Amino acid sequence: MANFLTDYLIPFAWILGGIILTVACLMGGMAYLTLFERKVLAKIQLRIGPNIVGPFGLLQPIADGLKLLTKETIIPSGANRAVFILAPMMTFILALTAWAVIPFNQYMVLANINVGVLFLFAISSLGVYGIIMAGWASNSKYAFLGSLRAAAQMVSYEVSMGLVLVTVLLCAGSLNLSQIVLAQSHGWFGVSWLPGWYVLPLAPMAVVFFVSGLAETNRSPFDLVEGESELVGGYFVEYSSMTFALFYLGEYMNMILVSAMTSILFLGGWLPPLNIEILNSPYLGPIWFVLKTIFVLFCFIWVRGSFPRFRYDQLMRLGWKIFLPLSLGYLLLVAFVLVYMGWLPKVA
Amino acid sequence: MAFIDRGARSFLLWELLSGMALSFSYMFKKPVTVNYPYEKGPLSPRFRGEHALRRYANGEERCIACKLCEAVCPALAITIEAEPRDDGSRRTTRYDIDMTKCIYCGLCQEACPVDAIVEGPNFEFATETREELFYNKEKLLSNGDRWEYEIAQNLLADAPYR
Amino acid sequence: MPKLTINGQEVEVPAGTTVLQACQSAGIEVPHFCFHERLAIAGNCRMCLVEMEKSPKPVASCAMPAADGQVVKTDSAMAQRARKGVMEFLLINHPLDCPICDQGGECDLQDEAMAFGFDRGRFQENKRAVKDKNFGPLIKTQMTRCIHCTRCVRFATDVAGVSELGATGRGENMEIGTYIEHALTSELSGNMIDLCPVGALTSKPYAFVARPWELRKTESVDVLDAVGANIRIDTRGPEVLRVLPRLHEDVNEEWLGDKGRFAIDGLMKRRLDKPYVRVDGKLTPASWAEAFTAIAARIKGLDGSKIAGIAGDLVDAESMLALKDLLTGLGSTNLDCRQDGAKLPAERAGYLFNTTIAGIDQADVVLFVGTNPRLEAPLINARFRKRYLMGGFKAAAIGPSLDLTFPVVQLGEGPEVLADLADGNHTWIETLKGAKHPMIVVGQGALAREDGAAVLALAHRLADAAGVVRDGWNGFNVLHTAAARVGGLELGFVPGAGGRDVAGILDGAGSGSIEVVYLLGADEIDTSKLGKAFVIYQGHHGDAGAARADVVLPGAAYTEKNGTYVNTEGRVQLGRLATFPPGEAREDWKILRALSDPLGHKLPYDNLAQLRQRLIEVNPRFAHVDEVVPADWVAFGAAGPTGAGPFVYPIENYYMTDPVSRSSPTMAACTESLRATVSQKTGTNG
Repeated sequence: MANFLTDYLIPFAWILGGIILTVACLMGGMAYLTLFERKVLAKIQLRIGPNIVGPFGLLQPIADGLKLLTKETIIPSGANRAVFILAPMMTFILALTAWAVIPFNQYMVLANINVGVLFLFAISSLGVYGIIMAGWASNSKYAFLGSLRAAAQMVSYEVSMGLVLVTVLLCAGSLNLSQIVLAQSHGWFGVSWLPGWYVLPLAPMAVVFFVSGLAETNRSPFDLVEGESELVGGYFVEYSSMTFALFYLGEYMNMILVSAMTSILFLGGWLPPLNIEILNSPYLGPIWFVLKTIFVLFCFIWVRGSFPRFRYDQLMRLGWKIFLPLSLGYLLLVAFVLVYMGWLPKVA
Repeated sequence: MAFIDRGARSFLLWELLSGMALSFSYMFKKPVTVNYPYEKGPLSPRFRGEHALRRYANGEERCIACKLCEAVCPALAITIEAEPRDDGSRRTTRYDIDMTKCIYCGLCQEACPVDAIVEGPNFEFATETREELFYNKEKLLSNGDRWEYEIAQNLLADAPYR
Repeated sequence: MPKLTINGQEVEVPAGTTVLQACQSAGIEVPHFCFHERLAIAGNCRMCLVEMEKSPKPVASCAMPAADGQVVKTDSAMAQRARKGVMEFLLINHPLDCPICDQGGECDLQDEAMAFGFDRGRFQENKRAVKDKNFGPLIKTQMTRCIHCTRCVRFATDVAGVSELGATGRGENMEIGTYIEHALTSELSGNMIDLCPVGALTSKPYAFVARPWELRKTESVDVLDAVGANIRIDTRGPEVLRVLPRLHEDVNEEWLGDKGRFAIDGLMKRRLDKPYVRVDGKLTPASWAEAFTAIAARIKGLDGSKIAGIAGDLVDAESMLALKDLLTGLGSTNLDCRQDGAKLPAERAGYLFNTTIAGIDQADVVLFVGTNPRLEAPLINARFRKRYLMGGFKAAAIGPSLDLTFPVVQLGEGPEVLADLADGNHTWIETLKGAKHPMIVVGQGALAREDGAAVLALAHRLADAAGVVRDGWNGFNVLHTAAARVGGLELGFVPGAGGRDVAGILDGAGSGSIEVVYLLGADEIDTSKLGKAFVIYQGHHGDAGAARADVVLPGAAYTEKNGTYVNTEGRVQLGRLATFPPGEAREDWKILRALSDPLGHKLPYDNLAQLRQRLIEVNPRFAHVDEVVPADWVAFGAAGPTGAGPFVYPIENYYMTDPVSRSSPTMAACTESLRATVSQKTGTNG
């Protein structure tokens, strides 16, 4: 019995606790991300932003959540009910699932698997299904057009995103996210305290990854999927109340996920900005990680506050004609440099 | 040189970055908006807000049912019915403004020979039902009583220009 | 034919016209207030000043006869200045209360002030104020607004023939009034409201009700007497707000009687707006289908001779024809449109006002037989007065004493005087014989008697004896009181072969040989005589007929339907729909057409055009709208012994003659004021 307790129950409880903690943090983070976004956009646009509900509008996300919870769920009479309801759930669950492999520091990771990057990639590719299902099940032309756009857009940008990932893999020599972070721990140019983040050597790839991330999460300036000016609201036009909230949650979750991925792949994850002893404590790791993620999220919002929406043909041209050749070329360049200089990482 | 300059700018995303720098710099400017329900912007004396029917200082209603406002109203929002009051004076028995039709052009107050119908400074009269926006004489007169001071001040301020 | 030059334009006008009229004939507008072409010339407003060559001062064009070689300038600086000056003087005392004035929007002074008024006043002194006069229940006065054009005074004195109005005081103290304050006793007083160029005289019932720009105007005809005055019905929404006369030189000129003008508030009162069926002795509201079922259940299988129809006084020709066709289809010949039992013949010459109303202007001698045109047809009476004012006109009357606003010789009271005249035993026959254009006007008071047919035959004999009918002149006239009467006679709404007339129908209903009586707006019959008959009343007001009815079908009043009416001279005129009938009420012919279906005798017309076609089939004269087709002079009436009693005039109270005017509060107020005047007279006259 003792064996059962120590071998199964305690790890299970640990894992369950970890999941609950992660999900709780994520939900809270996502909720306040909406407030953060509104506040930042307001600042950029010389406005004040939400400030009525609670001090500085801090309770605004709760009010929004309550509002969405108490509203009526409307299912259009022409909709396919099962798929219609399944679609937002799927989007939301997939957005959560990806977090299983994200390391908060060297030890804090729910599933430290060897193929973390592949897993992430697979899960984020599945995300498009939720959108397609929603668009199709709504039986509405706006939703349908929105989901068509989403499908094409997400598939297009996954290609260059994949190539960026391969570039990072080449440098790190592992598909394990923790390993990738650790591969960025040694300093450059022989200076031990300089951060060895991939953002420096792979700067163009980081930009491509970031922009593709915007496209993957249907964020401005690539938010043609929602395209409120021509498609009313895109694929979730027909959704209301909690079903709408799940889409909303999923979208912001994806945003955080892409930001987290960016900080892991290019900004050294939990590693401190300066590789000195006092900042290197494992307890500070999650804080560095969260700060970096918040910075990337800020960039997301910053971009939204700065640029107008792309036209659809411009979006496709950027994906296929610029990013694909660019990332492919840079991949070849990196591979060539690594092989030529003998910097290939040793595969364990 | 120009070619290199342009190429470098293009590859270094110069325009995008300078755009983002601009939007970033705006974050540190003072917001131009006012915190509306608690702060309000200034209103011109000529502001055309919610309608009101005024009274004379002795409590007598000003409106004499001449129907000029009804005639001039381009949105046909005003409906008036009149008959002689007991003392023989010409008064309205019905003075309705359909605020959902009104376009707040102010022609009614321009047409009014006795400054009875005016558009006051109040613009916060949203209601929960459409029916509440069908103003009748009683509602308009009570508006007049409530806003008399402001309306009188506004008329006074605007008088030199009329 | 004087020739004059106006603004450089040569104009030739008939002798006797004024310069102002000459300008108008040349299409040049001259502003004026006091001038009115149907009234005497006063020349006291001075607004019509024009410049005339060889005249040192501007001349008042309304009072200046046009003469050869005059050179007139209406738009010269002098004329303009003169007008502006006059306008400023007029506005010295005229209050600037246009917003509360009912004339606002249709005011001559307002219009001219827009053209010639100064934009500020130079008059610093106190304005004049005049106490308002009481002109009775029809005219509201605001005498401060009066500009002393004296149009009302001249109208009352000349046209209406009541010298009750006049000006007292001079200069600033001049006031228009009735000397001793009392209500005007004219039946035409409403026309003063139209004549008044400012808001001094306005309509009392219409006070503050509406502005002219709010009203929808419909051209129609008046049916409250048999003259068929042309009117304009002003409506707003479902309400008829006022009635104004329309110009028709051959009928009403531009006047209108007070009843036609003011009785319209009765159109909103006591209306039948849903069908009723009598259940257990009480009228209860029902649906159209229920009402029709009740009628069909009573009529189905009933012999035609037991069914009768009576048409009322306000009914249009179309619905009378529909009822006639329906009852004929059911086998009934018991039809009558002569509610009062007047013995009117089938021959046209025997029931028309053959001379025509315009023809009165030529008449020089007239004999009234049993008629009081002042109450029965005030507009025709005004024509007689107009003729009298032209001079060389003699009038005599047979019947109780009369006040016709012009001198009338009273020959006697009953038919025996008529017989004397016809036999040449009365000296007055010489006057009639000596006339160039003699007229005999026979009223309903002479015909609605037991011996009516004999009186008519007597009148015919007198006409022959005195040569009243000659080449190009037919001086024999019948004056009707009901607008529907001539129409009914023209389409033959009279007893057919073996049919009963009104008296016969009532007798039959009393004795039980008539079982169903269809009253089409008939309220003037003695409903107590209807006995146990099943009465169907179709009409618009809850009057005598509806009270007795077993089934009530709500119809349309004259302002609510397109109908054809024939006036007393046989002129076919069209009344037009101005508002829709209230509630479930429908146009009358439609009701009859709908009822004909369940009765099994479907009428063959589905729209008004088809019905009018049928009307023309029945009598082609209905095709001649607004024309008078002359009647051939043939024998009519039935010679026989005449009764002894004096003629009784059909109308005692001008203001209440029909369901509409009986329901009208304004007419009730007029009746009240009339009674007050009469009792006052008896009080002082002992």
